[in-house]
Amino acid sequence: MNDQLTPLQSIELIQSMISKTRSSLKANSFYFLFWGWLAFSALLVQFVLKTILDYPRHYLVWLVTIPAVFITIWYARKRHNPSARTYIGESMGQLWMGIGISFFVLSIIISAGPSGWLYAYPFFILFYGLGTFISGRLLQFKPMIIGGIFNWVLAAICPMLPYDYQILLAALALLTSYIIPGHLLNREN
Amino acid sequence: MFKDLDPILHSQLRLAIMSLLIGVKEADFSYLKEKTGATAGNLSVQVQKLKEAGYIEVVKQFKDNYPQTLCKITDTGISRFEQYVADLKAYLGQ
Repeated sequence: MNDQLTPLQSIELIQSMISKTRSSLKANSFYFLFWGWLAFSALLVQFVLKTILDYPRHYLVWLVTIPAVFITIWYARKRHNPSARTYIGESMGQLWMGIGISFFVLSIIISAGPSGWLYAYPFFILFYGLGTFISGRLLQFKPMIIGGIFNWVLAAICPMLPYDYQILLAALALLTSYIIPGHLLNREN
Repeated sequence: MFKDLDPILHSQLRLAIMSLLIGVKEADFSYLKEKTGATAGNLSVQVQKLKEAGYIEVVKQFKDNYPQTLCKITDTGISRFEQYVADLKAYLGQ
């Protein structure tokens, strides 16, 4: 190692190392794509079961989220060597854990009342918007910021629609908050 | 020539390690090795020097039955790093 650094070389070295610590954007795209496509498919299946097949227990499709939580935890633990814990990575983890818990609590709230599920989707979309907007800010990734804002608009429109179409609106929300930004994120770096 | 610059930091590998650690909460030894491209032996010596100077903390632990060395910058390390950057700027006339 050459210790005769000039001040300019020092600055360049610092810059190049700091840029290496920036959270790899691509590393985050798995979660958005996995959950985006999973929930998107679940919504379409629910729509078919309820509207076309008239199946009364159409909501059972959401049981798919239980194994998905375990897959997410397994994936997050797997890719850890060699590792560094970044502040952005930790913030993202805490944010989505909080939102995941909020989804769970929301499910309890809507199943407590007789027709709580009629008002479920605006709140789910509201949380998608929140999580995606903050993630976009943390990663400084514009498609996510736009997706988050767009989801807040969808959440406001949602209660004005009949329930069956709220399901499709939620699918549109996922497309714009998780799936499209997730694929764009995957193309970065 | 640059005698006022902190000699602990004014060294290529030690500066690289400190620049990596200033951007993350903590990093393991293999992460530092991968990002700096240094050999394990050289990296180990420089990490030890930074630790002795009180610029970083080093924690050795086991993760999934493998030894893991975690490095984290200290408050002293952060202020020395900031001072070093300020000194560099002064040299460059900024």
